[in-house]
Amino acid sequence: MSVKIEVGAGGIPHNQILIYGLVGSLVLIYLTYLNTITNTQYFAFFGGLAAVVALLWGTDTIKHLCSYGLGTGVPSAGMIALGSGVVGALFGATTGILAPIVAIIVAAIIGAVAGVLANNVVRMDIPVMIVSLTELAIVGAMTVLGLAAMACGTFEFLGMITGTTVILGFAVQTYEASVIGGSIIAVIFMLGAIAIQHSFNACLGPGEKQDRTLMLAAECGFLSMIPVAIISFAFIAFLPALVALLVSVIGWIYTYVQYIALSKRDAYAWLDAKPILEPKGGA
Amino acid sequence: MEEIVFGIGITALAGALATVAGAAEDTESDIGSQGDPNSQVQLAPQMGYIHRIFNKAVAGEPPAYGLWVALGAGLAWAFMAMQINPILAIVLGSALAVFVQGVYATTAYLGRTASLAKFGQPVYIDILKSMTTVTMAHAFVAIFTTVAMCHLMISALGHPFPLPLLGLVWGIALGAAGSATGNPFYGKERQYQEQKFGAGVPISASGNIVRYAEAGQRNSLDNGFFSAKLGGPASGICFGLIVFFELWRTVVFEPLAAGWGAVIVGVIVILVFAIIDRYIEVWARKTFGPYTAPEEASS
Repeated sequence: MSVKIEVGAGGIPHNQILIYGLVGSLVLIYLTYLNTITNTQYFAFFGGLAAVVALLWGTDTIKHLCSYGLGTGVPSAGMIALGSGVVGALFGATTGILAPIVAIIVAAIIGAVAGVLANNVVRMDIPVMIVSLTELAIVGAMTVLGLAAMACGTFEFLGMITGTTVILGFAVQTYEASVIGGSIIAVIFMLGAIAIQHSFNACLGPGEKQDRTLMLAAECGFLSMIPVAIISFAFIAFLPALVALLVSVIGWIYTYVQYIALSKRDAYAWLDAKPILEPKGGA
Repeated sequence: MEEIVFGIGITALAGALATVAGAAEDTESDIGSQGDPNSQVQLAPQMGYIHRIFNKAVAGEPPAYGLWVALGAGLAWAFMAMQINPILAIVLGSALAVFVQGVYATTAYLGRTASLAKFGQPVYIDILKSMTTVTMAHAFVAIFTTVAMCHLMISALGHPFPLPLLGLVWGIALGAAGSATGNPFYGKERQYQEQKFGAGVPISASGNIVRYAEAGQRNSLDNGFFSAKLGGPASGICFGLIVFFELWRTVVFEPLAAGWGAVIVGVIVILVFAIIDRYIEVWARKTFGPYTAPEEASS
């Protein structure tokens, strides 16, 4: 059965979050290009930060879309976001330095087509559907591109399809040991898809507060960065990967502690090993 | 011939691993009231039934397990690429994936419960402390066995997919098997024992879940105990059979008709199971039928 979804009012307006999310993730993804310019790999973690910013924006979009009574549709919204996004991101990656911008344009087109299909063919008739799916596809593209850039140190396609493996003591370039060839992109897809839907899915209800939901979105983003940082040890040098891991762990601990504090603030009561508090007047 | 015997052996081993995975998966998700039992646990406080049941809504089970297993497989793949022994790599990858699962579980419970403050549902911290660890332990078993099974398919049977992609596919299949097979046991046989047998779940009974145990108050560990007895093994058999038949038809019939043999046998297996399912459904409807009032004892 479907449960009516209620969301809290107030907080930062959605359009403001949209602008911060779009510009912020674009700038942060371009900061990973410093790797190519300075010929190091220390800036890979900026890709993960771009994903965190994109996820914050995506969470607020999902909240707007799903306040139209899509209870079980919250996880599906995450899936379609990353599904459209991964196509945009991989297409964009082939265009070199323009990759993030091309990814945004391609993802926006895919998202808009999906929105038109959902509204006019499936007849869901949700007013914000087309805009929301367009935003979600862009968020998905930025998340995939950001986390992939974090794993292999670059957002360019050539870097994603070549990895180094050691055979008989010689370092050999192969497709099998790369981010795409090893299907690490599938892990990134699922990390993003669960992270983007989880915060609103976990916080929905009449007591939903925007700051708590967004803090959880940041927590999910940093949590997704941790395994990507560990995987990146297989692709980039030891020290840059360690820097990425430290950034993710510190960010995760901070947001997790903050999120627990916000939950404590919003909870009816915070009890440890106490019996059921039956409401006055009985059930 | 020797190759086929070896393949059948690996098939049986993979099926056994899958059976363990299915049983652990369903127990894990039922302790967390994930999947379809979740809607009633979520609804209960809104209807005035304050409870001490763990409510970890991460997503449906198939996407959630798609992530946990793909993550375990991806990390194991990366560790193997760093020249770490496969067994150690799979253990480390599964352990890290379970860490992510545990964090998601705690944030889901805190978020859902804090948003229900209006209805007087408190956050019980002891639920987090005692049950998150239990779900993590079951999830570890499910993830480790599934990733090990995927690794067997690649290294012993020569499956062409890379480990993380195979993990994603089988993780979604594992979640789907547990969700479809195991949850009805928990939902209908455990959550709704407050209702009379055969009464169904009318709208007025929505959210009226079992909150008190034979002695004291029920929490999700009791549900885990129940699931480990019925729903878990049923899900295990389901997922084990899926994996076994999938590999068996490939290993034995692949050489026939340039690979089409395996496809044809796959279709036949599906048809046979559809006939069996239909027979059981009709038999159950005839035997247990629609609910009728018990006949009055004549005086």
